[in-house]
Amino acid sequence: MSREQGNPIKRILAVRGIGQVLTVTVGLIVLYVVFGIMNPVFFSSRNISNLLRQIAPIILIGIGQSYVLITGNIDLSIGSVVGMSCMISATMMTKGANPWVAVIVTLICCLAVGLANGLLVSFAKLPPFIATLGTMTIARGIAQIANNNYNTDSIGEAAQGFRDFFYYGKTFGLFNTIWIAAVLWFIFNFILTRTRSGRHIYAIGSNVEAARLSGVNVISATNKAYMVSAFVSGVVGLITSATSGMGTMDAGNSYELYAVAASVIGGISTLGGQGLLFGTVIGASIWGVLQNGLQFAGAPVAIRNIVIGVIVVVSVLLDVIVRSGKGLRRKRGASAV
Amino acid sequence: MKKIAIVLCVLVLATSLFAQGAKEASGYKIYLITMDQMDQHWVNVDKGAQKAATELGGITYKWLAPDVKDDAKQIESINNAVAGGANAILLAANGPNAVTAALKEAESAGVKIVYVDSAANYPAVQTLATDNTAAGATAGKELLNALKGNGVTSGKIGIISVNSATASTVAREAGFRKTFEGTGFQLLETQYCDGDAARAKDMGANFITQGVVGLFGANEGSTVGVGNAIAEAGKKVVGVGFDKSDMILSLIKSGNLLCTMAQNPDVMGYEGMKTAVRALKGEAIGAAYFDTGVSVLTKANL
Repeated sequence: MSREQGNPIKRILAVRGIGQVLTVTVGLIVLYVVFGIMNPVFFSSRNISNLLRQIAPIILIGIGQSYVLITGNIDLSIGSVVGMSCMISATMMTKGANPWVAVIVTLICCLAVGLANGLLVSFAKLPPFIATLGTMTIARGIAQIANNNYNTDSIGEAAQGFRDFFYYGKTFGLFNTIWIAAVLWFIFNFILTRTRSGRHIYAIGSNVEAARLSGVNVISATNKAYMVSAFVSGVVGLITSATSGMGTMDAGNSYELYAVAASVIGGISTLGGQGLLFGTVIGASIWGVLQNGLQFAGAPVAIRNIVIGVIVVVSVLLDVIVRSGKGLRRKRGASAV
Repeated sequence: MKKIAIVLCVLVLATSLFAQGAKEASGYKIYLITMDQMDQHWVNVDKGAQKAATELGGITYKWLAPDVKDDAKQIESINNAVAGGANAILLAANGPNAVTAALKEAESAGVKIVYVDSAANYPAVQTLATDNTAAGATAGKELLNALKGNGVTSGKIGIISVNSATASTVAREAGFRKTFEGTGFQLLETQYCDGDAARAKDMGANFITQGVVGLFGANEGSTVGVGNAIAEAGKKVVGVGFDKSDMILSLIKSGNLLCTMAQNPDVMGYEGMKTAVRALKGEAIGAAYFDTGVSVLTKANL
């Protein structure tokens, strides 16, 4: 990474992986404007605050998946951990537990899944796809068994504070869910870019052997990435149970793939070692704007699935093209400025 | 000669007495086999069957069910019922094909089969279940009447369902849509939430932003989402839904949902039992499909 002083634009452009982030940011703005022209209601302040709140959970699981992808692995258990968190927290609350006790217990359970993922991949050396496929079904099973194979009853009036904290309440005019995503993004972005743990996570994703030889504890770095992923999934599960006011066993179905989509669209490389967490925010926003905008446009769900699939493939293609023609591109970018 | 005549007389008397006794004491043995034991739905099927058995008299009735939903365990229950001397089985089949072999064996042992709630791909005396298309139409009528009552005769209506592949919810949606044909209402593209009430809430909120006047949820998760979206928006949107759960009932009580369509499992058990007895007596059964209908649960009748 070259450190050019002076011109701030040059400095931004010098950050590795910024190319795709800028491209998709432009794409996001275009998408947003197009949907807004198609249906002006899309620009209403009411829709904007709803939209931001709908994007927030995708940003959160996107952060988790991005961490894991940067280490060169994948986490398929995200959706099931969301479901597990939703069911464990709601079941505890319907049984009369204090909501905040339920939150802590739930997050500990989720972190345990993350640790299991990390150890299976780094210590037992299972292929991440298989290891997390296993924990995915196990976590979904736990979600189902939590309340004896039923969705829970209402978490009740006593949990109104919990529901407001995670979903319905507002702070400084913005829904709390948005604040939660913003704060966690800030923390995890700081860890990833400004701490040794973060550098180790990038290092093992670029070249695990080189990292090991230069003294990086691969097991610890992998565990950290998977635990971040499980933690944010747990938080999303809590948001889900606050939203519904009950536990749904099907909560979080296929969220792990949404998380991959958000990361990949945002320029996180599936091969590891590369990507910016800011890109994940843009990727998640594109995902959310598409979901929301295509509903407003009245597009059948099948069409929406096709559009989203195409965008995911195009983003990865873009990544490949950008990488292969990097030198050329950087020169052009510099001269354009 | 005289001796023989007396012996014969006694024999005839004895047999007739014995026959009479047999008819009184043993009657029919009828088993109910459900998917599991815990769900309130099955408890109510059992209550209905029990009630009919008591009314009809002379029936030995037993409810057999696996502790959890499991194909192998349901097959075991069927075999146990046959071994226990069942004359008829009321069955809520786990799936269309899993238990057909066991049913074939039961039938060859002379057992009459009646389906309650859900049928398998094997011929039976009758199926008693909810006609989901008709139930969807009922939901549509409730919404239409409520809107008309509010003086609303046109506008957009949003539908949230599970996915495009679940037969029961697809039928509910079809029935619902049909009700609005030829009215001034515009039904928007259906949104699918995969049974996740939180996603249904987002979709409901989007619909409300779009300015819908009514929302329909085709299953439990969708209905909870609809109710929560209306509760948050605090707008005059009328929501109707499906299924009966604690959360849905509380949303009805708080006035955020107009009503929900609840199935009638007790009717399935009650009428199923009657059908089984008629079949055993060799009486006419009627149609092969018996719609047990839905009950409309509102704030007023809760």
